[in-house]
Amino acid sequence: MTWLNSHPLTFLVFAPTLLGLLLLVLPQPLAKLTRLLGFLGALAVFVLSLAWLLGRPAGSLVEHAPWFTLVGLPVDYALSVDGLNFWLVLLTTFLVPLTMLGTWNSLKDRMGTFAALFLLLETGMLGALVAQDLFLFYLFWEGMLIPMYFMIGVWGGDERRYAANKFFLYTLSGSLLWLVALLFLAGKAGSFAPAVMAQAASALPFGVQCWLFVAFAVAFAIKVPLFPLHTWLPDAHVQAPTAGSVILAGVLLKLGGYGFIRFAIPMFPEAAMHFAKPLALLSVLAILYGALVAMVQRDMKKLVAYSSVSHMGFVMLGLASFTVIGTQGAMLQMLNHGISTGALFLLVGMIYDRAHTRMIADFGGVATKMPIFTTFFIIVTLSSIGLPLTNGFVGEFQILNGTFLSGFAWGRAFAIIATLGVVLGAVYMLWMVKRVFWGPVNPDEDSGTQHLHSDLNAREIAVMLPLVVLILWMGIHPATFQSVSERPVASLLKDANAPAIRPLVLPGAPLPAPVQAVAEGHAPAAAEVHP
Amino acid sequence: MTITPTQWAAILPLLFPALGACLIPLMSLDREQATAKWIRGAMYLTALLVVGAGFWYLTDLWVTGAQPSFAQLHMDRLAQFSGIFVLVAAAMAILQSWDHFHQEGWVKGETLSLLLFSVTGMMLFTATSNFVVLFLALELFSLPLYALVATTRPRPEGAEGGMKYFLTGAVASSCFLMGGVLIYGFTGTFNVSSAAALLQAQGLSGDPMVLAGAALMLLGFLFKVSAAPFHQWTPDAYEASPHPIAGFMSVATKGVAFIALLRIFPVSLGGVAGLQPHVQSAMAFLAVVTLVVGNLTALVQTNVKRMLAYSSISHAGYLMLAFVAGTPAAYTGLLFYLVIYLAMNMGAFGLFTAFGLVGDRTTFEDLRGLGWKRPAMGFSAAVFMLSLAGIPPLGGFYGKYMIFKELVGTGHVGMAILGVLASLVSVYYYLRVLVALFLQAPSAEAERLASERPAVRAPLAGATVLVAAAIVLLGGFTQAFLVQGFAQRALQEGLGLFR
Repeated sequence: MTWLNSHPLTFLVFAPTLLGLLLLVLPQPLAKLTRLLGFLGALAVFVLSLAWLLGRPAGSLVEHAPWFTLVGLPVDYALSVDGLNFWLVLLTTFLVPLTMLGTWNSLKDRMGTFAALFLLLETGMLGALVAQDLFLFYLFWEGMLIPMYFMIGVWGGDERRYAANKFFLYTLSGSLLWLVALLFLAGKAGSFAPAVMAQAASALPFGVQCWLFVAFAVAFAIKVPLFPLHTWLPDAHVQAPTAGSVILAGVLLKLGGYGFIRFAIPMFPEAAMHFAKPLALLSVLAILYGALVAMVQRDMKKLVAYSSVSHMGFVMLGLASFTVIGTQGAMLQMLNHGISTGALFLLVGMIYDRAHTRMIADFGGVATKMPIFTTFFIIVTLSSIGLPLTNGFVGEFQILNGTFLSGFAWGRAFAIIATLGVVLGAVYMLWMVKRVFWGPVNPDEDSGTQHLHSDLNAREIAVMLPLVVLILWMGIHPATFQSVSERPVASLLKDANAPAIRPLVLPGAPLPAPVQAVAEGHAPAAAEVHP
Repeated sequence: MTITPTQWAAILPLLFPALGACLIPLMSLDREQATAKWIRGAMYLTALLVVGAGFWYLTDLWVTGAQPSFAQLHMDRLAQFSGIFVLVAAAMAILQSWDHFHQEGWVKGETLSLLLFSVTGMMLFTATSNFVVLFLALELFSLPLYALVATTRPRPEGAEGGMKYFLTGAVASSCFLMGGVLIYGFTGTFNVSSAAALLQAQGLSGDPMVLAGAALMLLGFLFKVSAAPFHQWTPDAYEASPHPIAGFMSVATKGVAFIALLRIFPVSLGGVAGLQPHVQSAMAFLAVVTLVVGNLTALVQTNVKRMLAYSSISHAGYLMLAFVAGTPAAYTGLLFYLVIYLAMNMGAFGLFTAFGLVGDRTTFEDLRGLGWKRPAMGFSAAVFMLSLAGIPPLGGFYGKYMIFKELVGTGHVGMAILGVLASLVSVYYYLRVLVALFLQAPSAEAERLASERPAVRAPLAGATVLVAAAIVLLGGFTQAFLVQGFAQRALQEGLGLFR
């Protein structure tokens, strides 16, 4: 127990792997037992993470030990949980058992192996989230690809081999070039500790810093994925089994945004500022492009996949605004997207398991057949659109607010254009809802609607309920999820030396006092959200 | 002449395999060797015993820290390191070949004898810096390999591959000899280190003839490591040879050639000031060519063995990058890489035997669905392929990591970028193996054929595959121990680097 007390993070990160390896050697006939064991293990990890993370004062979860020294570079085993990754860690441990439960009967064969790979993936994700040494981060970041590759490639749809290879090679291409940048900087700094590397980076000429930032940014942007590096995502999402899609959207994409907040921006603040405009431009393009492409999709899953591109564009826009409120909104939007899009993928998976089709045209009038399912779907849709009182609203509002108020010359124009993306989001989601759920029952005998014989069962409701609760909680009281990251985000931006907020002054109106509000981390408008 | 105990200590590790190589043909004189299992068993046991004895003796030397020498044979740390390396590869090859040759129905004692002679030559090759001994050792390990490629006489492809290997190899050997002769002509000494000192002292270090001599010697080494453009023999020879022999060639030949290259070029000839920049730029240029040719050609192969051959060419390219960086840390990376490479490639070639794929049945088609049928082998295959591709946290990643780090550190950022791009390309063809093993179901025709064949029994090959997989997996977590305990000490005490 004393070991556990001093190494809670090590346990959280590696317990899934140990269990996963155990599950791998269990024989095929015991697959059902294996699946159950996997779920119980993941649930236990979630409960433990809740107990350990919520129960401790912030900043007390730190593990640090030297690991090895190769070619003159020490690598540290440094893990910690702080304001930047606190909720992402919990999101991960929460989504893994939930997804396992939600896709309990989706897979017909080799479900034991799938559960094992899922647990290995959890180790990769948690490790990458809590690693505080760039080499360690790199190991987890790359190691994550292996289980995901097999999850897509073995259990995916018809084009699974293509999608799996594309996912693997695409992601790897960015991170291999990033590795060269990492080696260059680590060689200069003599360490992989982010703080030391940041110091070494600041001593380099600005041009070199820019190159290094670009290498970091491309690796992370591929994961986000930021337009135009998003092309792997629709393939991977559509071909992956439901559980794979949920985790891909729920956690893996977050790691890209997290990489920016944790490493790319703090390590190269000046270069990041230099590239703020291109990043914001790409984000706005991603928002609009993702929404427009989502609008014309016939496959529900592909629609959700493109909506991911749009939503993650908001995250990147918030980061590029370099304001506290925008960054905080981006952090929240990452959680939102994990929950809403994860829930959407789960729901699409549930209807697919029944109808064996995901084509929008195959449905119609689902509401009369599956009222409970429809209710959940509408709630999640509204959250994805960003209706006030749901989580989506808070995140998008803060991001747009931050962008609008940011000191950059382009801030207002970009915020206005990005707001268009919110409208488009409502268009594609509601249009899909209209075609799938409302109207008369699809009369075609072979259509998907005719195959829907049962509404959600107790297990599926149990999966959706916590997600809906979270959607509302985050919409009504976002401070629960934002207070921990306030301080780290503020200090991050102080280093970046971002331009001061430019308040919008209407002619004749009294001058507001925005500086004070920023220092507290709340924008003036935040009061509107939780009075 | 009496031989002192230290001198014995230097030659004993070589004498063990040589003794075995002489004894085994005597056993295989019996006409019944194909039918009498106990004769075959005795031959294999003898081979394993002599390899084991050599291994035991060398590890003993390593532990005591002694570096005995006998005339031009210097059993220093580096030679001990490479001796252990070769013996482990040989042991794996012997174990695998028991299963493989029984599958092929061609169990012959001379195969083992040739293998052991080759082992002797390889151990000698890395233990000397005298040119004549070097050449003798080169021939001693090459000639048996030419024969080994063609050892399965019922397969006509074997003879073809062996012939190709022999003819090209003979040209390379004569170039190597010519290079040495040119340098000898200037200096009058066969000892490469003293030749280097003389060249420097006489101001001949930039002389075109000396450069030509060095270039010809370098060519000999590069042929053995199968660097482009001297790589043409590799795919044909690997495809023709029995799987364990192909694995042994890919690992041991490349390994000893790199270690000898390290001993001769950067170290012994390091003192020749006019030579070093030329060698470095030649290595840089050829490494780029090798990486490009190896990786791009591997992409389009349909036969897994040929793919592995091109992959071994591309690995020669990564290893050559260590010479481009040219720092002691890069050479430790090279040695570490070789250790992991030994496990990866012996394992990968052992998979064919473990899956019972004899003869030409080594295409991607033949592998389909096998990963799920034999989960332990499938898991090992995944470990080997991902490690060959350099995906962390497996051992193969750290080899590349160390070499690329030194490349970046010495200012060769462009080369490092090329290297990572090359390994990105390589991921695709390594993934093809995993696609075949796990992501594709076997065709109905293959299922029918498989049900007609007797069940595959390859316990020894399977065991070597598992051991190799364990080494690759653990290599990713014991990297510092392996590097500091072995690679660094071999270079430090054997070559005097890191001073």
